[in-house]
Amino acid sequence: MTLDNLNTVAAELEKQELQAQGGVSSPLLYTKLLAIYLYQNDLCNAKFLWKRIPSSVKAGHPELELVWSVGRAMWKRDAPAVFTALNGTQWSENVGPIMRSLVGKVRERGLRLVAQAYSSLSIDTCSSLLGLSPSEVVEFANQQGWGVDDNKMMISPVRPPPPITHITSSEDQLHKLTDFVAFLEN
Amino acid sequence: MINSLAGNYRDLCDLLIKSTELLEKNGQHLDTVLETLDLQQHSLGMLAVLSIKLSLPPPSPNSNQPQVSDYQEIVFTQVQEFIMGCNAEQIRYAPETFAELCDMLTRQLIEAKSPLRGIELLCCAIRKLQLSDSELTLVHANLCLLCLLAKCFKPALQFLDIDITSIPPQDGFPFDVKHFLIYYYFGGMVYTAVKKYDRALYMFEAVISTPAMAVSHIMLEAYKKYILVSLVLHGKVSHMPKYTSQVVTRFIKPLSLAYHDLATVYATNNTEEVRLAVTKYSDTFTRDGNIGLTKQVVASLYKKNIQRLTKTFLTLSLSDVASRVQLSSPAEAERYILNMIDEGEIFATINQKDGMVVFHDDPEKYNSPGMLCKLEEEMTICTDLDRQIQRMEEEIMVNPQYVKKACGAQDDDLTTGQTSKISTYSM
Amino acid sequence: MQVDAPPEDNDNTEEDLYLVENPTLDLEIYANSYTGLARLYRLMYIADHCPVLRVEALKMAITYVMNTFNVNLYQQLHKKLQQCVSGMSLPDVASGGSQDVPSFDQTWVENKTKKAALKLEKLDSDLKNYKSNSIKESIRRGNDDLGDHHLDCGDLSNALKCYSRARDYCTSGKHVVNMCLNVIKVSVYLQNWSHVLSYVNKAESTPDFSEAQGKETSQAILTKLKCAAGLAELATKKYKLAAKQFLQANLDHCDFPELLSASNIAIYGGLCALATFDRAELQKHVIFSSSFKLFLELEPQLRDIIFKFYESKYAHCLKLLDEIKDNLYLDMYIAPHVNTLYTQIRNRALIQYFSPYHSADMNKMATALNTTVVALEDELMQLILEGQIQARIDSHNKILYAKDMDQRSSTFEKALNMGRDYQRRTRMLILRAALLKAQLCVKVFILIV
Repeated sequence: MTLDNLNTVAAELEKQELQAQGGVSSPLLYTKLLAIYLYQNDLCNAKFLWKRIPSSVKAGHPELELVWSVGRAMWKRDAPAVFTALNGTQWSENVGPIMRSLVGKVRERGLRLVAQAYSSLSIDTCSSLLGLSPSEVVEFANQQGWGVDDNKMMISPVRPPPPITHITSSEDQLHKLTDFVAFLEN
Repeated sequence: MINSLAGNYRDLCDLLIKSTELLEKNGQHLDTVLETLDLQQHSLGMLAVLSIKLSLPPPSPNSNQPQVSDYQEIVFTQVQEFIMGCNAEQIRYAPETFAELCDMLTRQLIEAKSPLRGIELLCCAIRKLQLSDSELTLVHANLCLLCLLAKCFKPALQFLDIDITSIPPQDGFPFDVKHFLIYYYFGGMVYTAVKKYDRALYMFEAVISTPAMAVSHIMLEAYKKYILVSLVLHGKVSHMPKYTSQVVTRFIKPLSLAYHDLATVYATNNTEEVRLAVTKYSDTFTRDGNIGLTKQVVASLYKKNIQRLTKTFLTLSLSDVASRVQLSSPAEAERYILNMIDEGEIFATINQKDGMVVFHDDPEKYNSPGMLCKLEEEMTICTDLDRQIQRMEEEIMVNPQYVKKACGAQDDDLTTGQTSKISTYSM
Repeated sequence: MQVDAPPEDNDNTEEDLYLVENPTLDLEIYANSYTGLARLYRLMYIADHCPVLRVEALKMAITYVMNTFNVNLYQQLHKKLQQCVSGMSLPDVASGGSQDVPSFDQTWVENKTKKAALKLEKLDSDLKNYKSNSIKESIRRGNDDLGDHHLDCGDLSNALKCYSRARDYCTSGKHVVNMCLNVIKVSVYLQNWSHVLSYVNKAESTPDFSEAQGKETSQAILTKLKCAAGLAELATKKYKLAAKQFLQANLDHCDFPELLSASNIAIYGGLCALATFDRAELQKHVIFSSSFKLFLELEPQLRDIIFKFYESKYAHCLKLLDEIKDNLYLDMYIAPHVNTLYTQIRNRALIQYFSPYHSADMNKMATALNTTVVALEDELMQLILEGQIQARIDSHNKILYAKDMDQRSSTFEKALNMGRDYQRRTRMLILRAALLKAQLCVKVFILIV
């Protein structure tokens, strides 16, 4: 399983869940679907999935609870707890790849947020938002070309340039434009 | 007993309705009948037999008969096979009976506490009944109900996201308004659960603006949720459409006093007061199942107040933010602002060194290819809608009844009643 | 005799809460600028809101009411005075104070009641006479006389009836206008403002309104109508319209003590204009208005306020405004609006102060506007949220920056919003069309499931 086709995997799992004999699916399915929702940052669906999993299944399969503890922390936007939960568990083969890449994903989002939301922040805050140790943060900041003030333990991030979006073909645009004009003329 | 071959399905339906009593009397032989029928060829016949079977109480368990739960399991499988495999063309002759079957199934699943199992089945049932995606069926409401109970919303959303444009008569009678109200009410609840508040508001608005000569309990409940969602989304109670029935304004408003009070207090932007109001009416809100939504209302006011600050200030200290929006500490204010930046609800940068926050304008300059794309999309939707309206108008223009009335009104211009009747088409 | 409560009783319950402690009003002069019920109502309003002047105001009112047939009001005033005196004499028994309180004159009451009844009877029979002879002009006069008498007795609703009845017997434009003026007067007393406005309109649209009268009288009538309309607009909180009406008054023809005085016009018009006019309007219609200038001469303080405002000396202007506030609180017509008008004037000052700047030091601004930086910040925040000032506050450095609006972006934003709004409404429309086509309608009470 690669991470690229997670959407298809998720759709397949959702379908299986609905078709499950007696309405209860295997713990493996639940765990995996939950992990994928988290990876997709679809916390709403993750939350409702957690709510609908029968408690008997939850009781028999502790990893499920562990995956949700990550989800719960994400729901509460408690970044340190997200990293603790993610890093503190030895994930099974079922969700391992997803959960391990989730770390990077969450950190990436944290990074974007830090760069966007702060003009200066303490190393402590930064380390809790990114799930890195203070020394790692300093190293990381230097890499990114951010200002680091060792005395005051402050970091000044640099705003990222606006993302470059794809450009549609001019032919396509011309076509749309013709459509609009045709509409207005009629 | 019953033999349905290709031919006149309409007559067959009548015959089946007449045979109901006969079938009920022979409850124990229904399975035998089913075995003789072919799923594809005799869909209507099977529908009639299955409907009777589901409406009869399960046989009392004895040595030969299976346990009640096993019996229900067998019935479930029978219905499942039927819905999946039946002939859509045939069952469209008896949509009401078919919907009743779905309804009985829904109820059994709810009773058995496994609503999830029915979801895919009902999705399939809806598609069999529909002639087009945008047609409302009597099964829609049941699907939403199962999804709500199962806390599994994606299947319902694929239907809810498509706007209804036609509501066909059922077995020759007008569509029962109850199913319409319930579908839109549940739909609003689904959207609220997945936090798509603008769609939720749309659904609730559809419920309360349904033509009415009497008050419906569903409308009342929808109205309450309409107020709350409206506050969360817009920070104020949106105006109801002008064509909303008088009954709604006259009877429903006095019945939702707590909600109006909350809205009034909300308008003062005072979070403390809003909290007090929520506590004061917590019994009512809990009884109405709206307590979660009222919590969202409170949270939204903090956000709204911070947004107000961004409109007035360039810079502000975090402690000032905290005191102005009544948050307990600068740290809490920072957390709120951080989350709002993350959600794209405000544009700001926090400076932890000075404990200040700088507010920015929306950086969108409307000059990127991405924005152009978005504009084009929006325009396409608008033009498509406009074309749809034009098509509808053309349809009315060539409607013989309309033409007759329109001309009739000209002949006799004193009877203004006729023209006003026609104008209801264009609402 | 009909009992008619003075209008304040039913209307001004909210305003009754405040009390004025230090008025700088000369009651004698003030009272003498009015006649009839106007004088009585105004004195009573002062008595209700100013403890210092209460006894004096009531005494004046009693003296005055004894010239009329208004027995009812006489009794009321006495009751009030009695309450007030007994309340006062409890804490410190001032020997002089309570001595010259007029005592209740029962014989006067009986005499007047009798006389009033006699007069009423006479007027009634006169009118019947005229009617049997069907002489239009006499009937009209008879009705008017009867109305006058009812008014003298304080019976407003009957006065209104008689004056209105005269309408059917008007034979010239002059008569119509006269009837309108009578009705307007009573309606003002009754505080029936929509009535006032409709009769002002009626009088103004009387065909030969201007020709029928001599030039002089027509000016006087016009001024009267404008002032009555101004009062009505003021009372219904349409301050800008009120200002425009008052500004059309003419001092030389300003004589109707039964409604208001010339200095009232100056104050009502001046304040409303200050609160609602922009700079250019203020200059053109108030400061350079030759006719209104004369009114302002009567109220030099207000004149100074307006000029200081125009010269952008806001601190001084606001200080002067504060000084006249107490007296305004004693004026029955402007008092309920003082706070609103003052806030509007203040906001206008803030907006005008900032208008030429790109950025402004809030410390200086606070000094110029007689306030603290913190309070100013709050005021500014409100104005920005209301969209009255396009600016942002730099709270860190206490500087106010004008906000440059990007027309292009905001147009795009508006267009997008409009588009979404259109989509939503159209979807709802299509759904509704489907509903109506399917004849869906809630006809009976439906419970959920």
